[in-house]
Amino acid sequence: MLLKVENLTKRFGGLVAVSDVSFGIEKGEIIGIFGPNGSGKTTLLSLLAGLLPPTAGHVFWKGEDIAGARPNVIASRGVIKTFQNPQLFSELSVFEHVMIASFLAFTRIKDHSRLSSFLAPGKGEAALRARAEKALSLCRLQGASEKSAAELSYGEEKMLGVAMAMMCEPELLLLDEPASGLGNDEIHNLENVLRDLRAHGTTLCIIDHKVAFLAKFADQAIALQQGCKIAQGRPNDVLADPAVVKAYLGRSHHA
Amino acid sequence: MTQVVVGQILNGIILGSLYGIIALGVTMTFGITGIVNFALGQFMMIGAYATWYFTDLAKFPFPVAVALAVLISAAAGLLADQALFRFTRNNLVNGLLVSIGLISVTESVALLLFTTTPKNMDTVIAGSWTLGAITLPRMKVVAFLLLAAVIGLTWLGLSRAWLGRATRAYAQNPEAAMLMGVPTKLLQTGVVVYSCAIAGFGGALYACLFSLEPTLGGLFILKGVESAILAGVGNLLGALAGGVILGVTESVGSLYLPSAFRDAYGLVFLVAILLFRPAGLFGGQK
Amino acid sequence: MKALWFLIPLYLLPLVVTSDTVLTVLIFTFLLSILAIGFNIVFGGAGQLTMFHAAAFGIGSYATFLSMLHFGLPFWLGFLVAVVVIVLVSIVIGWICFKFRLKEFYFAVVTMAFAELCRLIALNWTSVTNGTLGMLVLEKPTLWLPGSGIVKIEQTTPWYFLTLASLTVVLVFSALLMRSWIGRNFSAIRLNEDLAQTLGIDTFRYKLLAFTISNVIAAFAGALYGFYTGFIEPSYLSVTQSLDAIAMALLGGVSTILGPVVGALVLTSLPHLIELPAELRVAVYGIILILVILVMPRGIVGLAAGFFKRQTHAS
Repeated sequence: MLLKVENLTKRFGGLVAVSDVSFGIEKGEIIGIFGPNGSGKTTLLSLLAGLLPPTAGHVFWKGEDIAGARPNVIASRGVIKTFQNPQLFSELSVFEHVMIASFLAFTRIKDHSRLSSFLAPGKGEAALRARAEKALSLCRLQGASEKSAAELSYGEEKMLGVAMAMMCEPELLLLDEPASGLGNDEIHNLENVLRDLRAHGTTLCIIDHKVAFLAKFADQAIALQQGCKIAQGRPNDVLADPAVVKAYLGRSHHA
Repeated sequence: MTQVVVGQILNGIILGSLYGIIALGVTMTFGITGIVNFALGQFMMIGAYATWYFTDLAKFPFPVAVALAVLISAAAGLLADQALFRFTRNNLVNGLLVSIGLISVTESVALLLFTTTPKNMDTVIAGSWTLGAITLPRMKVVAFLLLAAVIGLTWLGLSRAWLGRATRAYAQNPEAAMLMGVPTKLLQTGVVVYSCAIAGFGGALYACLFSLEPTLGGLFILKGVESAILAGVGNLLGALAGGVILGVTESVGSLYLPSAFRDAYGLVFLVAILLFRPAGLFGGQK
Repeated sequence: MKALWFLIPLYLLPLVVTSDTVLTVLIFTFLLSILAIGFNIVFGGAGQLTMFHAAAFGIGSYATFLSMLHFGLPFWLGFLVAVVVIVLVSIVIGWICFKFRLKEFYFAVVTMAFAELCRLIALNWTSVTNGTLGMLVLEKPTLWLPGSGIVKIEQTTPWYFLTLASLTVVLVFSALLMRSWIGRNFSAIRLNEDLAQTLGIDTFRYKLLAFTISNVIAAFAGALYGFYTGFIEPSYLSVTQSLDAIAMALLGGVSTILGPVVGALVLTSLPHLIELPAELRVAVYGIILILVILVMPRGIVGLAAGFFKRQTHAS
């Protein structure tokens, strides 16, 4: 099991955002997490990525407990998270964003010397630049590479987040509402990107409201309500689960 | 021996209440305008020199001189707010840099006007009270009481009066306060002016007790910020306590440890507090 | 990098200009440029407002001179000792600040506190530093030059070339740094520290690195400055000195390579162009700082760069 979450709990003072959640993800799977607003989805992902320390519980990544580790350590282990509200480096260009994101890949290149990269970045980083351009073109951003991030549309910002995440060579990609705010064209593009990633061997964990989007992709689904896991299993089974239907107050899975 | 220690404790309390009034200004300004007015010490300096000028040179009665000094500090505060701080709301780094710029200007002007020669004000209240074996200089006791009164009244005003409650509401949730009709711009300017006014008042009392140099502002603001952080930025009454704790620690400390480093004790305190209890000694309640 | 070509005419200047005043102003400009570049790296690059800069400047002077005095070392070895000292100090202070995740403002206050502490030590440890009287530096740096052998740097012209060469080295280093992955990580930390962390950047390590590098550069400026002026005193570590560096860096344009040099040039030549009583000099710095923050946040070079960008876009 690639990722094993055990009894993960997060309390903010009196409020319990995530309560005793346990589940596992196998390599190569796509797992979808959904639930109404306030069910703890984003908090759960933040816990997994190290942005918040858990109050209790364990997160085993390839057998190692990473609960409470710093975000950059978790990222270097191969767990990368995107943000629901796109997080960017204002002032910088799109290309500079993906080049910053190439840092982990840079640290993993064994056979080149840091000194040559320092003295002549043009040559030393050619491979990384090529990769950056490829990531941008996969996310349909190749035309925007010189644009300042401040000038991007919302959809472009989200895809930039995905491009940056791709640059980090994720083994497990945590996507927080990747499709929210995107138009149909962009969603289609996003689906292609996710299929590519999966074909590449990346394991995906996706949160989204658009249940239909998840149901199409996911091998497994987890339903959360008020911080607790109320159902787990194949997407269609979970969507038919009475507890889940009740949580959504009669909303059918055609939402 | 006891007289010396008690004397130092009293000194510490006096100094501490001066730190406290600056700390109060720092905390209030931070809560409402989102910046730390590092130049607050300068308004204390302005108040001090103004008091000295009006009492010794213009020969006004002391209370009149103090009132004028406070007015001048308040006016200077208004000027600074409208010209500078108005543009750096909620931007801590810019606010700090602008404050530092303001400090250079005011210190230079003061240096030009008054030179580095220390000025000493003629005694306002002479004599002392005796309590058993302990002598308490009257001026010091009066100064402390006045400073404590100002801080206490400020706290009272903020917890009872409408303006006070509006201020606290704004500090907690600016948007909601705005929607409820709290005049935010006026409030922000008002807080800056008020904090400069009380700093000026502190300066007036400082002038009665110590000799004046143009650089006094720099020293007091650092101590004021230390006291505010010590107490927990946002805690108003704590500002006085934080100041007094710092003042007493320094004064008593210099009895037993090299006095050249008395300023360092506060720094050590400050760093320790920031590292181990970032919310300050009294927590971070507003 | 292309911007560095402008340094070439500066090397040729002494052939044309013999005025001692001009050369002296330029020497001070070069020295203070180095100081401002150091500040730029940690503030314009990594976004950390340090108030320790002047303290590093002063420590560079004192440590270099004291190791020459007490251990009989030549200038460059003395400076090496100073580098070791400043690196250790930076690591201690930086570790304290960054481990505890002090936010920008608190970082400024704590570094200010440490700088004050260092200044108090310089002021009061009279047995070592001579306190407020300062120390006369009679020794001079020496260089080995092909053809002349070991040369003592004493006259204006040799100092001119030494400081210009030092500035060149620091400028080249700073340019390389900011365009490398290290500079990218600094920018990432400055603009969005949380995002940088999720992309695998160890922000603690890079903030510490930025802080240390900037202090070493400041120490370099300090060492040269102390030996050029022939006098070292505790005011080198004062907040006013930090303010000078900050004003220069901001005026020229933080986050630009040349900005600090432009800023240093303007502020160093200003007192020579406009007659001002000494007290008001500090006031002018303060006013410039205020104006830059409020009106010209991108500084002179930043403004110029923006202007040229707009011109090329228009055509």
